[in-house]
Amino acid sequence: MSSLKELEKVKVGRRSFLKMAALSTALGATGLNAAPAVREATCDELKDPYPGSKKVKTICTTCSVGCGIIAEVYNGVWVRQEVAQDHPISHGSHCCKGIDSIDTVRTAKRVKHPLKKVNGKWQRISWDQAVNEISEKMLELRKKHGPDAAMFLGSAKMGTEQAYYFRKFAAMWGTNNIDHQARI
Amino acid sequence: MTNHLGDIQNSKAIIIFGANPAVNHPVGFKHILKAKERNNAVLIVVDPRYTKTAAKADLYVRIRPGTDIPFMYGMLHLIFKYGWEDEEYIKNRVFRMDYIKKEAKKWTPEKVADVTGVPTDVLIQVTRAYASNKPGTLLWAMGLTQHSIGSSNTRMAPILQLALGNMGKFGGGCNILRGHDNVQGATDMCCLSHSLPGYYGLSEGSWKYFAHNWGVDFKWLQNRFATPKMMHTKGFTLSKWWQGVLQEEKIYQPTPIKALWVQGNGITSVAQTAKVQQALDKLDLLVVAEPFANEAAVITNKTDNVYILPTTTQFEDEGSVTATNRTAQWRSKVIDPLYESKTDEEIMFTFAKKFGFYDEFVRGMMMGVRNGKAVKVKDTFKWPEDATREIARIIKTIGLTGWTPERLKKHQENWHMFDEVTLKGIGPMKGEYYGLPWPCWTEYHSGSPVLYNIGIPVMEGGMGFRARFGTEYEGENLLAGPFATIKGAKVKGGYPELTKENIEKVLGIKIPAREKAIMGKNWKVDLSGLIAKYALQAGVAPYGNAKARAYVWTFPDKIPMHREPLHTPRYDLAKIYPTYPDKKDQYRVDTKFISIQKKDWAKDFPIILTTGRLVMYSGAGLIERNSKYLAALEPEMFADINPALAYKYGIRDGDMIWIHSPEGAKIKVKARFTYSVSPDRIFLPFHFAGIMEGKNMSKNYPEGLIPYAIGESGNTVANYGYDIVTQIPETKAGLVRIEKA
Repeated sequence: MSSLKELEKVKVGRRSFLKMAALSTALGATGLNAAPAVREATCDELKDPYPGSKKVKTICTTCSVGCGIIAEVYNGVWVRQEVAQDHPISHGSHCCKGIDSIDTVRTAKRVKHPLKKVNGKWQRISWDQAVNEISEKMLELRKKHGPDAAMFLGSAKMGTEQAYYFRKFAAMWGTNNIDHQARI
Repeated sequence: MTNHLGDIQNSKAIIIFGANPAVNHPVGFKHILKAKERNNAVLIVVDPRYTKTAAKADLYVRIRPGTDIPFMYGMLHLIFKYGWEDEEYIKNRVFRMDYIKKEAKKWTPEKVADVTGVPTDVLIQVTRAYASNKPGTLLWAMGLTQHSIGSSNTRMAPILQLALGNMGKFGGGCNILRGHDNVQGATDMCCLSHSLPGYYGLSEGSWKYFAHNWGVDFKWLQNRFATPKMMHTKGFTLSKWWQGVLQEEKIYQPTPIKALWVQGNGITSVAQTAKVQQALDKLDLLVVAEPFANEAAVITNKTDNVYILPTTTQFEDEGSVTATNRTAQWRSKVIDPLYESKTDEEIMFTFAKKFGFYDEFVRGMMMGVRNGKAVKVKDTFKWPEDATREIARIIKTIGLTGWTPERLKKHQENWHMFDEVTLKGIGPMKGEYYGLPWPCWTEYHSGSPVLYNIGIPVMEGGMGFRARFGTEYEGENLLAGPFATIKGAKVKGGYPELTKENIEKVLGIKIPAREKAIMGKNWKVDLSGLIAKYALQAGVAPYGNAKARAYVWTFPDKIPMHREPLHTPRYDLAKIYPTYPDKKDQYRVDTKFISIQKKDWAKDFPIILTTGRLVMYSGAGLIERNSKYLAALEPEMFADINPALAYKYGIRDGDMIWIHSPEGAKIKVKARFTYSVSPDRIFLPFHFAGIMEGKNMSKNYPEGLIPYAIGESGNTVANYGYDIVTQIPETKAGLVRIEKA
């Protein structure tokens, strides 16, 4: 159920229309083309509102306990979050933060594109512009003041591979001015 | 954590210093509650505040912040007095406990009561309960570490455990609850200014080892630094980087800091937010790579050269994460990056190209080991698996050799096949512990769920204490005694860490010359893996079997000593237990100790300040304050205040108050009446930001990105003060004054 064509084939019932409305960002205009006629939900749909969805095992990103999360993904959209009943540490438990993990992608408050502050006002810029301007400025500072003019603050929110690479990043930039939350 | 959460269910006694797992690690706390239910374990909570964790305790100890060492010495005083220590254990496994015994003798219950504020009968009750219920586990978090004597506190706690023989036992150990999901992993990778990944330090030998493993010329790497010396010089820290900009205290590098690069760090979670703000204002360039509008870009008045780069959450990426108990878990990608977000590694790769070191940056992922040397073995790489392999290949110190992506993924797929209490696998996962807790010495090793446990064979996770500091000190043997033989080991008692030179002698074996030829100098740099292989065959851990040091000759205090907080409410005690002399060039900046403490701050700032977390939030709160549900449940910053204290200032529940710090910073927050704090202290959560010293900064957020909750940052009034070794800020024992707003 990954392509739009396949989706169009689905007869739209009341539930799936609502679902589609929710998915409208992913679907674009296609979702709106489908007629909002109400029909009886099929047996499969009664059992499972997201037929063919994928259940992805992952780990909570809040604290260090490491609770399991089952993320239900339907057509590339994280639609529901389940506790992992069989996870050896969390055994189906979640705290208020963990159970809300889905909100880290569902919230409207995500930074959506690169931003630059110009004369006190935020402006939308492209990645290319951001990368070019930042690297130019960084290299200029490095040339003028040396690599220790930069301070890198990395993260306990990174994965282990990323954290390792962030350390390497600072090393190859040429400084030990690198730190993260474990200091505190 | 030396043990793991499930293992706490084996404990008969649990003592918690400065941690509040009921709020900060609720699912972890479940294991503690199970220990109470199933094991009838006694739960003791030592905390300046009656927390939600304390509410579940059998015994609660309201301690004055910053006096954990006297309290623990008080416990040891009674333990030695009544012979509750584990003498045999101490004799075989601890170096110079007699020094501790001598110091403990001074800390009578009466003296402890005077310093800590804990009544003598409570100390006696707690000590008796803890010492007579074994095994006992000791937990801590930032309540113990965020002090000017934080590093001594973290030594004191294991010493208490060693005295009782609780280290290296099921249901025992020191179980430190880390904050974020991957603090353990990022620490192991040493995203830190004083070390290369795997705690290899910054020595020339270490840099050479990494240069070799990254496939780059050591000279090239050295030339990347300002001078060869800077390569071996610890950098600025998260605690005090801002002095690198402001230079109010002397700094020790050729240039001030001009550019700050923040990638996944809520920088309002360190003390002195007002100083952080001033430093941000003075920067030439501020780059913030985050999924949300990090307040670093908001609290600053800087008008130009501030960039925010949209970065994915870990749900839009893949890789491993290390939980507080040293287990690795594989995160599968849930969805593709949203909007224009890039993953953290993609951002690094993009800029590495621009900075001209991309080829060198990624080469390590295309390397493998041939004849004991790291060489390039392929021309492309796959993220993150090849990065996981690179880490496993290099990091021997904490035993990550066994952490291959294949094994970690298999554990994730089969996480239902592991036992909660032992972490032991069943069926196809038999012989392995869930998440292969490090050290996981080889690709066929089980992982080690309980550190320093000599009661089980090394192949099942057993080991002694690491022999890291030679074999003797001042003529005294540092290696473990004859009765500390690891179960099933061919070597009796203690033995040194294994090197190419000593391995044959220590293990009593003969190794073929062709193997000796490719073997690394010692177990930490042996890419051939032969030292680990022969060690496991002999049933010993490659890192030796030594005594744990109660006495550490390289630390400012050889044994942990009480020293009053820099801002102490007991100026009289600061004369008896003064802090350290000021420290020059601590992580590139001078740091004040005695020159702060010599003034009696309590005259003008009579109220103790301590900080902590709320259940709805974590860290700087950036993630949760952008969740409308969590923010709705805890929308506003506040100060917990005892009604008796509030009465003195004419403050009513819900009134706005000003809180002033000795450094001249202030915050305006709502007073919340509670008896959880005693009338001499207040409590502040530190998750809020967006309001600075009464000024609402919300116009500084990019359009539409104001979090659902903003507020004063509690750390704005957290006092100056840093640990002598680690430079962790002293946010858990400060002084303030308050007034009605």
